[in-house]
Amino acid sequence: MKQALELTPPASPFSNKKGLNRLKDRAFTGIVWTLGVLIIAFIFGLLYLILQDGLPKITWDFIFGLPSEIDEGGGIGPTLINSFYILFISLLISIPLGMAAGIYLAEFAPDNKLIGFVRICVEGLASVPSIIFGLFGIALFVEYFEIGLTILGGAVSLAFLNLPVLTRVTEESIRSVPKELKSASFALGGTHLQTITRALIPAALNGIITGICLVAGRAFGESAVIILTAGVTTSGEMWDFSLFSPGATLAVHLWYVQSEAIVGDAQEIAQKAAAVLVFVVLLINLIFRIPLWLNARRTKRS
Amino acid sequence: MKWFKQLTIAALIAVIGFSSVPASTPTATAASKLSGKIVINGSSALLPLTLQAANEFKKLNPKVKISASAAGSITGPQAVRKGIADIGAVDWDASKDVPGFKKFDGQVAHKVAVIPFAAVVNKNVTATNLTTKDLQGIFSGKIKNWKEVGGKDAEIIVVNRTFGSGTRVNFQDKALGGTDFMTKGDNYKEVKTSGDMKSAIETTPNAIGYMDLAYVTDKMTAVKINDIAPTEANVINGKYKVWGYGYYMTKGEPTGATKEFIKYVQSTKFQNGSLKKLKFIPISAIK
Amino acid sequence: MLESTHTGRQSGLSAELGKAILAGSSKPFDRRSRLFFSNRLFRYLCIAAASFVCLILFLILLLMFRTGVLTFGQISIADFFFSTEWNPENEQYGALIFIFGTFALTALTLLICVPISLIIAVFLSVFVPPWLKNMLRPVLDLLVGIPSVVYGYLGLTVLIPLIRTVTGSGMGDGLLAAALVLTIMVLPTVSRISDDAISAVPAKFSDASYALGATRFQTVWRVLLPSAKSGIMYAVILGMARAVGETMAVVMVIGNTPQLADSLLKPTSVLTSNIVMQISNVPFDSTWNYALYLMGFLLLIISLLMIVAIRWLQKRGAQA
Repeated sequence: MKQALELTPPASPFSNKKGLNRLKDRAFTGIVWTLGVLIIAFIFGLLYLILQDGLPKITWDFIFGLPSEIDEGGGIGPTLINSFYILFISLLISIPLGMAAGIYLAEFAPDNKLIGFVRICVEGLASVPSIIFGLFGIALFVEYFEIGLTILGGAVSLAFLNLPVLTRVTEESIRSVPKELKSASFALGGTHLQTITRALIPAALNGIITGICLVAGRAFGESAVIILTAGVTTSGEMWDFSLFSPGATLAVHLWYVQSEAIVGDAQEIAQKAAAVLVFVVLLINLIFRIPLWLNARRTKRS
Repeated sequence: MKWFKQLTIAALIAVIGFSSVPASTPTATAASKLSGKIVINGSSALLPLTLQAANEFKKLNPKVKISASAAGSITGPQAVRKGIADIGAVDWDASKDVPGFKKFDGQVAHKVAVIPFAAVVNKNVTATNLTTKDLQGIFSGKIKNWKEVGGKDAEIIVVNRTFGSGTRVNFQDKALGGTDFMTKGDNYKEVKTSGDMKSAIETTPNAIGYMDLAYVTDKMTAVKINDIAPTEANVINGKYKVWGYGYYMTKGEPTGATKEFIKYVQSTKFQNGSLKKLKFIPISAIK
Repeated sequence: MLESTHTGRQSGLSAELGKAILAGSSKPFDRRSRLFFSNRLFRYLCIAAASFVCLILFLILLLMFRTGVLTFGQISIADFFFSTEWNPENEQYGALIFIFGTFALTALTLLICVPISLIIAVFLSVFVPPWLKNMLRPVLDLLVGIPSVVYGYLGLTVLIPLIRTVTGSGMGDGLLAAALVLTIMVLPTVSRISDDAISAVPAKFSDASYALGATRFQTVWRVLLPSAKSGIMYAVILGMARAVGETMAVVMVIGNTPQLADSLLKPTSVLTSNIVMQISNVPFDSTWNYALYLMGFLLLIISLLMIVAIRWLQKRGAQA
């Protein structure tokens, strides 16, 4: 933060560079606005491309129906439920663990070589292709625990996949909280725990929620890990919450329909499934944002 | 060690906070007393068949749990050998040596379906009748332009499945007489699944590839090989040679639920019903 | 680790009890010691979580390394790293093409992605009014959640035909197509986290800058971006990590041919795509399989090296 201040040039309003500066500023503003608007338009175009074929054709029968191999008109019911179920379990595991580990790295960890190494390892693992986590999941759940292809195995493997990102995002967000906040809390006699839970986490919540949204979206769309650890079948029933059922998710079903299914309307199912996926991710983003809005309102009022 | 595993599983469940009682489905019509768990792994080309059979079998035997996963063909017999799957689906007889893959000792192969394969080209290709020699030349990279096989003047784009794909093993063996594929070139690419092959052929002008007959759509052309069109009838009457069996591999002779499941897949009811609808050919049709 | 945690908690507790008694407090569990106790407990919980994360990471590293290192029982280290012949059917396992491909693809992606992301981040955090920003942010997050299979499919059916008509090449598969698809996938991550970093710069910094008469361009360029540097670097690292490790979409557009990419439009292959294409199709106990695991391990090493390099550059930049 300090160096930033030093880097700021003493821009003198009386220098003869004023005209040039204004020109630069105009050009910069123009470029950013044009590019910004263009890119936003591009993103909406992309979304339209994905949603246009699928969204209008979605019916309740499709969302709650059972998948079919031969007859057209198969649904995605059990896979959608599995998607939510697996996402829920994996977040249940990865959010507390990842946040606690991130808090440790940001607040408690000594600043030595070992911790530096751990930090780099965590970052590096965020780049490991998900298939490696899938193989790890197989080694752990199918071969070591011998529980076969289950929702439990898929959810835990998915949680492992998300741990590195969550840890780093939490650490980074807590670090970016201004020092004054922390000092003020300590000065008021707050313990470290109180400081973390009442000052640092609320202040860092924006970043943490962004991280969770990214992770949840990624988990919802992840297919490679689930194929290997939870299989491509469902139990074939709705509302099956057994942890040991096979747990194909919507993304897996999308992969399957796109790559292997023979059923006549495979293309249409793929488009509709993709549309549902995108829609649900949007929903997840909105839901996770609610605590943020509440938080913002609370801090504004006080 | 066993108690440790169980303890860890128990702890895991406790941590998550769910009772682990598997949802026992109360069925009024307990037609069958058969119970057990079947894990199926292996060839993704046989997956539609496996999933359909599993659905029907579960309706008849509600107490049997079936879970399936799929990747390359070779994962089937491998998973069976490791003991992590009861049935390994594979596109060749894995109890014998095939080019590139050693046999799996102690495994029994069960034929479950006949799978015809077709060479396919993009709609814009005019050369739609190729000889075995043409195909060998094209897929080994010696023939580079469509005009060499009677088409228009355009470079041939070869799309191949990745090594280890059951479709590739069968196509190389039956359509190319075992000739090696090319491995690199400016106009050569490999794809991972049948679906990717389908998209690649549909969208790439001048492309040639191959796939199960079931995946052929009207947005591409299935070529005649030596004047014979790839149709179900030509496979059954013995004229069209490019087809193979799909197999279920088991460790030794199967027992219990696994045995019943394979029996069901091989039954006339399934073979002439759902299997036909999935565009496979019943094993009984081949003499 | 667990052992020490346990005894640590015990001794901490007893020390606290001792203090409480010495202070003459009648209740051994008064507010202060309770706070102290929960403080301690929380700290150890955090340590336990961190060590659990480390344990998982370590196990994954071990799995890849242990299997990967078996490769060298069959072939020499030099062959693996410096040979361009990847021909497993004839026992040739040269990974140079894939290593080069991974570096080239990542560099190309970052080259396209980082400037665009920064512009979006600045656009969102400085230029756009808050209500619009609140609308646009979830849209960006949405792009992250779209499954990579969908991106790959769009790349195959929309982008590649486009490249074919623009460049007039026969196929269109290759580094360019892969980098463009990756850019779209990485863009939201990089721009969202940079946006957060820029927004987290205290308002007084930019106020001070404006007060000194700086233009908006100067404020952004000389104050906001340098202050948010750490966060932006982190965003770039995360984006790079995703680019290095992304598989499902890359596989569909890169062509998967083991040849050196001397042109942006030539079908080639990278570490991830090669692993994903082949790992489900090779026998478990073959050199081929070991080589694929080794490539997975290598992938990790490469991203670690990139991270270390960026951190080093960052440090040097800070000193200069």
